[in-house]
Amino acid sequence: MQNKKLKWKSDFEKSVIIDNFINRGWIKSQEKEEESTDWNVYWATVWNVRNIFNPKNGFRLNDQQIINHFPNHYELTRKDCMVKNLKRFKREQDKEALEMLNFDFLPTTYIFPGEYSLFVEEFHRNPNQTWIVKPAARSQGKGIFLLRKIQQLKKISGTSVTSNMTQLNLASKENYVVSRYIDNPLLIGGKKFDLRMYVLVTNYKPLKVWIYNKGFGRFCNEQYTTDVAEIENMFVHLTNVAIQQYSDKYSQKHGGKYSIDALKLYVESAYGTDALQRMMDDIHNIMLTSLKSVQAVIQNDKHCFEMYGYDILLDSNLKPWLIEINASPSLTTTTPVDKNLKMNLINDVYNIVLPNDDFSDSESKQQTTNKVGGFTLLYDENLDPNIRKTQKRQSVKIWK
Amino acid sequence: MQQLDNQEILMKLKSSKQFWDIKKKIKQGFNEQQKIGVNDIQKFAQSCEVEDQLIKLISHILKKSKKRETIKEDQIEFLNTSKVKWTELLFKNLDIVHQKTKNQEEDDTNTDSKLYIYDEKNLLAFLQTLKQQQSSSLYQNVQFQSNKLLNINIPLKSSQSILDKYQYLLLQEELQDEKINKIRKQIENEHLDIELEKIAQNFVPNGERCLLYLKYFEFDHQETVIQQNFAKLQKECLIQLFYDELLEIDGHEISEDTFYFVFQEQILTCLKCFIRDKTIKENIRIQFQNGLKKENTEFQLPVTGFFPFKNISKYVAPLCYLSTKIHIIYALFKEFFCRYFCFLHSISSESNSILSLCMQIEEIVSTRSPKLFHHLKVIGCDTLKLIIHQLVYCFIGDMDPPHILSIYDQIIGHDSLEILVILCVGFLNKYKPKLLLAKNGENIQQIFSELREDKFQELVQFAYKQ
Repeated sequence: MQNKKLKWKSDFEKSVIIDNFINRGWIKSQEKEEESTDWNVYWATVWNVRNIFNPKNGFRLNDQQIINHFPNHYELTRKDCMVKNLKRFKREQDKEALEMLNFDFLPTTYIFPGEYSLFVEEFHRNPNQTWIVKPAARSQGKGIFLLRKIQQLKKISGTSVTSNMTQLNLASKENYVVSRYIDNPLLIGGKKFDLRMYVLVTNYKPLKVWIYNKGFGRFCNEQYTTDVAEIENMFVHLTNVAIQQYSDKYSQKHGGKYSIDALKLYVESAYGTDALQRMMDDIHNIMLTSLKSVQAVIQNDKHCFEMYGYDILLDSNLKPWLIEINASPSLTTTTPVDKNLKMNLINDVYNIVLPNDDFSDSESKQQTTNKVGGFTLLYDENLDPNIRKTQKRQSVKIWK
Repeated sequence: MQQLDNQEILMKLKSSKQFWDIKKKIKQGFNEQQKIGVNDIQKFAQSCEVEDQLIKLISHILKKSKKRETIKEDQIEFLNTSKVKWTELLFKNLDIVHQKTKNQEEDDTNTDSKLYIYDEKNLLAFLQTLKQQQSSSLYQNVQFQSNKLLNINIPLKSSQSILDKYQYLLLQEELQDEKINKIRKQIENEHLDIELEKIAQNFVPNGERCLLYLKYFEFDHQETVIQQNFAKLQKECLIQLFYDELLEIDGHEISEDTFYFVFQEQILTCLKCFIRDKTIKENIRIQFQNGLKKENTEFQLPVTGFFPFKNISKYVAPLCYLSTKIHIIYALFKEFFCRYFCFLHSISSESNSILSLCMQIEEIVSTRSPKLFHHLKVIGCDTLKLIIHQLVYCFIGDMDPPHILSIYDQIIGHDSLEILVILCVGFLNKYKPKLLLAKNGENIQQIFSELREDKFQELVQFAYKQ
């Protein structure tokens, strides 16, 4: 590998990012942090990316610059936008019957305040159902709670509900998403967990997706129960590390993180090889369908790539459900194993987006490989025969 | 030994799926033929190997019907007296531990963590003290080498025979899907332990491992019974025993392990049931503590006939991967322990015992890596002291679960713990370059405190390197 002296910039003081840059022999951009434009590689916050791509700022990336977000990534990573785009994509697919995609991975979800009345109807149809309420644009479990009575919506600060429940007045301007709570999660050792998996998108048009072979399950510290008395016990229900770290039972040694490899061994050994294969196929379907749902709306840009953190919940039938997609998955390391994983993850990201630290021909170089480090090519639209058929059909239509 | 009469053999045959498969095959062989004589059946059976299959099935039934008796007395007398001394020592340790727990209850700041009756280091230290009082006339030809840690004359298999036995593992390659599917079908159809052992020696697909183990231990059609027995034991756990506290403390280490922390509660439940299980004493292959009742002590041995020891939780942990049902995990753990792991804590001349395994390792390392053997002795870190933990706990905690399960496969495959000898030798050979540079115990500790990843196949490869 050629160690070209590329200049890096990072909005995060995370060792897994900075050590990776240093290990490659790259040098830190010397200009004043906030105003610095003299960089080749930038690991930025989503807000700074928005500013960079804001036409009012008059800044244009040059051919020797890459950045870690697409301008309007929020179409996928804001909970309300993700739901909206998936629903829209499903309607389009049903209408045109182009591809037999499976959309049955998103729990029934309503976006507040707009879909409040629809939610109320559904709520009355299933009075025993538990719902989970989440702010659309927050992270780390902040503002999340479980709901069994509509009056509980008052938990949203300043919010009121009319006595006949027909109207919701959200005090804050932020949207909320309310989803059917998956109350039969797969349990291991009696505890609930979800999966964090990493997906790299190097291009949206055409779509090119890589999946990382390492990830982890994030375990709750308390035994799972559907007992109503424990509905507010976040140590039972919410798997976010940011929440679980405050449990008395939290362990610094493993941080409640259980490797994907160990989980796969467990599923295969306890449920069978076919069950594992089905589960993984369903997970891959979630990733591809969600990315395809925003393909038309994401502003594709050759300077951009994005590494997403997918949060997936398995139910007791091994069916995966999409919880959310994170644009800036945490790169904080809580254990040595975690550090090893994330160091290698970032290293492999740059081996894909900037092979040999060379900006020229990076795309053509990747054409021939479908495995780079821990990443495996999950989907390349250029190689999808169905797409070619569709394009041919469409071009024939145009000519007619 | 119990013998079956013909009627009993026939009953057992009729309860075997393989019997009905054979019968079906014979019936199909004769189709619509009206008159079939004994000679016709015999000829047919010989021609399509049905006779061989039937003979194997009957031998298997007869073998299984012979009740295996627990080994209580060793053929070497001084080992029997040593076992008594060891048990007495453990009773003393128990008193110390009990006192410590009382002190901790009274004083929260007292965090003495040595709350276990014995660990592998204590066991090795005791083995070191064994001195044969009279040289047995049986073993006069056995060489007595004073540079070894263990100086006892017991019959040992030749180390070359062990190396030769496992050499086939060097040739194991990754299998194609087609072959894996074939093995899957074999496991589904096979019932004889000799055939299951052959499969286990070569390759066990993850998805079929639990079935293979259940079949090998003859539990595959006994789930209801297993469940009922386990439920009874769980009820008994409502009455607290002092040993429960020790098991809870033992579970702390596994609760910190990245591969096993999720199973912490299941492991503890299994162990609490285990120490209450009265059937252990009849099923265990070797009695490794002398179960004499002591006078004037608060505690006696548990009904199992032995004290729980440090890291007993480790033996349960890998089995938690195999099933979602705790009664199945328990049944497998109990069988593995009674057949195999018990030997790792037994002062015995049996070939699977810790004594034999240790002496085999010393023999191989001293002859095939004499430089390493001598160097470790010089810096005060004997070979056995380096690997005793890995040996006694089957590398659990040192290797990732898939590799541990490969070890378990080989244990079943050869009905023996000798694979641990190969792996321990491989372990020492792998780290030989660094060990040869070590100047003292601290250096050695540093080598093994670094993040390392030991793999089954890798250690096998190293075992055969010189």
